[in-house]
Amino acid sequence: MEEVVGKIWDKWLTSQVTTDHVAAKVHFSELQTQLLIYYRAMGGDGAKSLEIAEKRDLNIRRSTMQKIAGSHKQFYLSWQDERSVRLPPFIALFAEKDLNQSLYFWLTALAAQLDKQSRCGLSYKDMTDWFNDNQQATRHLITQYAGLRRIYSQLAHEVLGLRNLELETLLAKEATKTKATEFFSRDFFSQKDGLTLAEKAIATVIKIPGAMDKYPHSHKDVLPVPLWLYPPLITQGAGADFKPADEKNKTQPKRNAGEVQEIDQRKKAQYVDDNRKTDGLLIFQAEALMTWTEQINLDRCQSDEDDDTDITEIAKDLDIISLSRHRKASAARIRFDLDLPAAAQDDLRLGEGILLPEWDYKQQRLVDDACVLQTMISDEVEPIALSSEYKKLSQDILALFAHLGLTPHRRKAQKSGDEIDLDAWLDDYALPVKDTSKQAFYIDTQRQNRDVNCLILADLSLSTEAYIDDKQRVIDVIRDSLMVFSEALTRLGDEFALYGFSSVRSQHVRYHILKNFDMPHSDHVRGRIARIEPGYYTRMGAAIRQSSQLLAERGGANKILLIITDGKPNDLDKYEGRYGIEDTRQAIVEAKLLGLVPYCVTIDKKGHDYLPYLFGHHGFSIVSNASELPRVLPKIYLHLTAMH
Amino acid sequence: MTEDTNSCYYQVQDNEVEIFNFAKAHNLPVLIKGPTGCGKTRFVEYMAHNLGRELVTVSCHDDLTAADLLGRHLVSSDGTFWQDGPLTRAVRHGGICYLDEIIEARKDTTVVLHSLSDHRRELHLERTGEVIKAHKDFMLVVSYNPGYQNMMKGLKPSTRQRFVAMSFDYPSPENEANILVHEAGIKLELANTLVKLGADIRRLSDIDLKAAVSTRLLIYAAKMMSSGCHAQTACLHCIIEPLTDEPETIKALSKLVNAHF
Repeated sequence: MEEVVGKIWDKWLTSQVTTDHVAAKVHFSELQTQLLIYYRAMGGDGAKSLEIAEKRDLNIRRSTMQKIAGSHKQFYLSWQDERSVRLPPFIALFAEKDLNQSLYFWLTALAAQLDKQSRCGLSYKDMTDWFNDNQQATRHLITQYAGLRRIYSQLAHEVLGLRNLELETLLAKEATKTKATEFFSRDFFSQKDGLTLAEKAIATVIKIPGAMDKYPHSHKDVLPVPLWLYPPLITQGAGADFKPADEKNKTQPKRNAGEVQEIDQRKKAQYVDDNRKTDGLLIFQAEALMTWTEQINLDRCQSDEDDDTDITEIAKDLDIISLSRHRKASAARIRFDLDLPAAAQDDLRLGEGILLPEWDYKQQRLVDDACVLQTMISDEVEPIALSSEYKKLSQDILALFAHLGLTPHRRKAQKSGDEIDLDAWLDDYALPVKDTSKQAFYIDTQRQNRDVNCLILADLSLSTEAYIDDKQRVIDVIRDSLMVFSEALTRLGDEFALYGFSSVRSQHVRYHILKNFDMPHSDHVRGRIARIEPGYYTRMGAAIRQSSQLLAERGGANKILLIITDGKPNDLDKYEGRYGIEDTRQAIVEAKLLGLVPYCVTIDKKGHDYLPYLFGHHGFSIVSNASELPRVLPKIYLHLTAMH
Repeated sequence: MTEDTNSCYYQVQDNEVEIFNFAKAHNLPVLIKGPTGCGKTRFVEYMAHNLGRELVTVSCHDDLTAADLLGRHLVSSDGTFWQDGPLTRAVRHGGICYLDEIIEARKDTTVVLHSLSDHRRELHLERTGEVIKAHKDFMLVVSYNPGYQNMMKGLKPSTRQRFVAMSFDYPSPENEANILVHEAGIKLELANTLVKLGADIRRLSDIDLKAAVSTRLLIYAAKMMSSGCHAQTACLHCIIEPLTDEPETIKALSKLVNAHF
């Protein structure tokens, strides 16, 4: 009973304080694709993505009711860092749906503009930077874009209205008989916290961006400004960067009064400086331990499995989970070093490994010898004949080839052929003296010499172990595709090679030969294809560079590098997120310079977010139904290499 | 600098007129590369007009055979007779022969140009056995768009290396605005907005869009606006819809248009 009453009470209370217009709610997910295109068009960085922002704390002045309800402590604030732009999961600020939608586009435009000014807020010293940057970007947008000026003034008007209303509510509760309009002339809040001035400043510059350049100091935060982007969530000493482990950095972030607190939106990535080598529970003064959310810096890397459920439970209760990069890395190391097969069971390693460069986007240069690629081959394979199932599939595909793609070349004026060449006959007819030896009046249709070299690079990372339906894993689909496709290529007469890759950090990029260009397609090759297994990570850049090299050495006019994958490049170390994307992109650029045609076939439905940046708009296909890959792959290839 | 000779308007971008004139002075063939709708054809028309030469334009396609360029025998009531193709006609009587999108033509078709585009300047008509020395006013100009080529297409190096080549791109913002003002008769302010919109959309080319918005499309939009069409409507139908079929992209670009107008 108590529970029921509690719930009703809670519902009622929340409804009393909530200011959302549920009917006009606009969700981020509905607009995501559009917003990303819009962001790029407005000049935002092509490598960045758009993500949902989670709630962040703002220490604002709350009404008694809001305090009772425990609401208005956290807000969906928009912000961006080097990786992505974070926008609220929904906007229901205004009563009109159109306005809520406009706000999304406004925030995106602002993010792009700030990005163009290369101000993501990473270098903010205090709130004055935040205050000025947003004004500057807003001013630029409304002077440059007539349409945005209209939209902004409408949004600004509404936002100011809402702010006044909110302040009026506060006012009504705390200082009776005071109207909102009088708010700014009175010192309603205590002089000490300076909040009056701050609110006044915000209202002024929302109305006239650029009107003020000094942000009044205040102990409390101003009401959230939905029209602006906030500074990114970073903790000094860690943040978005990976710092080398030996770089001691003991300074904890100093929290400026009024600055938004550092909490990560993913409950995952607030990395705590762990260079102190203390595995202890308390690395701070006990009296600072106020709530759960403050710090639970407990080292759980040696916990028993049984604890996992507890941790999950606890995790749900926590707003912040602090992770140490150290521990994550060491746990990962333990797990994966054990995971690597013993030398005797592993594939045969060929040579000592090849040193390859990697692109560091921060330095904007290629770092030499950044990773080691190990070429390997399974030496003990059972030769396998083509199974009847594959045979059937291959035949279907070949029938398709005949039907679709390989339109034969028509050669005119032939001695024999299946059509009459009227032009040739007329030419001959017009000749005063006929030379019977030169009479050739037929059109012959012939297969063309394709002159194509294709290297297929398959992603064999652990993610391919995921099931796509009840029966098949991703790796099974890739295996089937390689089986059928290699058959089709053999029949087409195109030269081809098959390689697979995975990686365990930069020192161990595994590059499996399934078939190189010189091997004939045989039962042994099929045996090797049958044995591919998922494992480890996706250091795509290194594998692409090596493949490009091999392909570039081939003669012939047309060289295709076909990459089959199921997701983004990633690895355990810094090869994650933007670093991996930028390195892969660079590897693709290099491949294109070598005269190759790189092409990516993926089953990642979210591929649209990053593949255009990696491969260009023409450079990839997304196969939405993964189980169709064996059938679709040859079609894509054919389309790619189609003759006239 | 704007060159406007009676009927043919062309906004000079760089030193292309000079280069073309030098090439002409030495009877060298010219190759123009550039994205669609950036003014390649207009430039050739303008030069032909300036030089007072006839312009013969052939739009190449993948079914274009050598006979379509050179000519063929036709049948009449009196028997057969030889009919010159567009290329042969220009070679015989002088004029500029412009092969548009030559990359679309099959490689074996373009081989007939070889003897014509080097020092020999002669055309071999295999069918009649005739060898025609090019008229002194004959000039060969070809163009293609390096953007959307299939990997199997492309000019043979032996063909490419017979031309004086130049790259065209979309005009600079000032030039493009001038073009819009001239072609569509809109105000410079509106033209500038359209050009800025074009620049924003061009950022998406090769990432979210297959091709960039051409000056031609901007002119279409400008023309429709000049006759009273609403800016948003004109941009949707003249710029966005021709560029993409993706509903999400259309929506995003519409929002972009709204930001500008």
